[in-house]
Amino acid sequence: MTRSTRTPLLVLLLTALAGPLAAQQEVYLKVTNPGLSRVVLGLPSFASVGTIDPSMASEFLTTLRRDLDQTVAIGVLPNEQARLVVVEPGNAALTRQRWRAVGAQFLLEGSLAGAGSQLVAEVRLWDLSTSEVAYARRFEAGVGLAATLAHTIANELVKLFTGKTGPFSSRIAFVSDRTGAKELWVMRWDGDAQQQLTSYRSITLGPAWSADGTLLAFTSFLRTAPELLMLRPSQGSLITLSTLPGVNSSPSFSPDGTRIAFAAGGDGDTDIYVVPAAGGAPERLTHTRGINTQPAWSPSGRQIVYTSTATGSPQLYIMDAEGTNTRRLTFEDSFADEAAWAPDGIRIAYTTRVDQRFQIATLDLRDGRRTVVEGPGRNESPCWSPDGTMLAFVSNRTGSAQIYITDPNGQPKQITRDGSNTQPAWVVQLQ
Amino acid sequence: MPWSKKAMLRMGPVVALALAACAHHAKVVAPAPTPVPVTSAAATASPATTPAVVKPEPTMVAPVRPEAEVVGTELPADLDQLNRAGYLKDAFFDTDKSELREDARQALAEDAAWLKQHPSVQLTLEGHCDERNTEDYNLALGWRRANAVKAYLATLGVASEHMTTISYGEERPFAIGHDESAWAQNRRVHFVITGH
Repeated sequence: MTRSTRTPLLVLLLTALAGPLAAQQEVYLKVTNPGLSRVVLGLPSFASVGTIDPSMASEFLTTLRRDLDQTVAIGVLPNEQARLVVVEPGNAALTRQRWRAVGAQFLLEGSLAGAGSQLVAEVRLWDLSTSEVAYARRFEAGVGLAATLAHTIANELVKLFTGKTGPFSSRIAFVSDRTGAKELWVMRWDGDAQQQLTSYRSITLGPAWSADGTLLAFTSFLRTAPELLMLRPSQGSLITLSTLPGVNSSPSFSPDGTRIAFAAGGDGDTDIYVVPAAGGAPERLTHTRGINTQPAWSPSGRQIVYTSTATGSPQLYIMDAEGTNTRRLTFEDSFADEAAWAPDGIRIAYTTRVDQRFQIATLDLRDGRRTVVEGPGRNESPCWSPDGTMLAFVSNRTGSAQIYITDPNGQPKQITRDGSNTQPAWVVQLQ
Repeated sequence: MPWSKKAMLRMGPVVALALAACAHHAKVVAPAPTPVPVTSAAATASPATTPAVVKPEPTMVAPVRPEAEVVGTELPADLDQLNRAGYLKDAFFDTDKSELREDARQALAEDAAWLKQHPSVQLTLEGHCDERNTEDYNLALGWRRANAVKAYLATLGVASEHMTTISYGEERPFAIGHDESAWAQNRRVHFVITGH
């Protein structure tokens, strides 16, 4: 315990030194790329061309602005500064210099046109330090897809600055009991557009996506005993992957999507198994007495982290994907479970227990450094955004279990409110 | 369970006697007026320094149980009615444990006796947990509890093939609440008779 890093103390100290910022209580992810600060982007209204529904144009720009503002990489120049820019008619270069003068580093100009049933957006990204066009592209979408168009452009811009596609088309699958039974739901990454996927009126648990967003594996008590099922949400087709004795829980797809690790087993013990995603006989990977559960693949596909009670209390272990070379990973926790391997392969987020309460911890595999974040209430079930810049997790700080995601400052933002909502699983997009 | 290890050790032979008595009096229909709880006698026993034998042991009788009246008769055909009648006692567990406590062993011994009198009964053993672990860990813990009970009942002579195990983890709590009294109620293996 004494060697672990207690983030809140550190953060409180730093913010106290920094002065005017409000005291930050709870920061989950420090800046992931040292040296990277947010790029300030000027975002003037897009020119409307032809007959374009004003509400559609407004939805487009609002969505684009909101998306970009929620990233670690890009910040939209606040209105207080943007409004100081006086547009110089006929002299776009001078106008751009004025954007630079109020603090913008890049400027996104564009036009939005309605062409029949199509919506056409043309964007140009100016680097104001060099007065050159850094990026220009034309996008087309169906006329009802203004928000989707905005998400696509936002994703592209984030990719320009970070090398990784933004989260704006990503979805979070989760378990909600708002209908009275635990069902699978899916929502946009920011909590919008929550949609019920299953209506089994049974117990549904532990959703896991294939990395490409085509498949969703989960546990269902639909036929009395828990079974491992797999859904193809775009088609609604469902297959049964495992009816082994035991829990058939905690699925995790291999990064290439061909295999699924999960937990099951007879005689009271629970072990890690792997089953082909196409169906087939499960292969047993662990042979330890007690509980072995919550497997999660490494992004390389070569290792699996999981929870085991091999030495008594639940702790994290790593093994090769073949079940060999097992080694214990956590030693400082009284309880460690729900490991989630970061997309960078370097960090593992997990649920630890501090003073009888669950909290989110991260472990840096390079130096073994453990960081525990102590938030209010009980905090558990961490899950990485596909680009590794954000975490989703579950907290009961409001009195019921709800899903939170971290904002660009690493602070939690509640994205569910209805019923109790648990076990988030984040995927880059639906297929 | 605040019993000291010493008290538990001391209780050993008493419980064994009680079990023997149970078996012996299995057919007794009319129970003694006030059955003396087995545990209180042991728990309040004097310290080891004082003479151990002060008075005769109380007469051990089978606790009052509904089956005392139905031995040799048919069980109700309706399964809901049968399950509501509460012939089988649930086994309770300590936090995070799947080891059987002494009170659980006692309850299970009575359950085993009843099950052996009704060998046609088929049952499901449901493992349950309190809410204080993660969902998936609790599923595995409930599975461990259900199978620990099944194994123990099997050693007492109950046919394994008549027992099905399932874990509900923390998904079907008996007591709604977020304190120890609710949690203690929710750490259990619950019996459901599914046929006879």
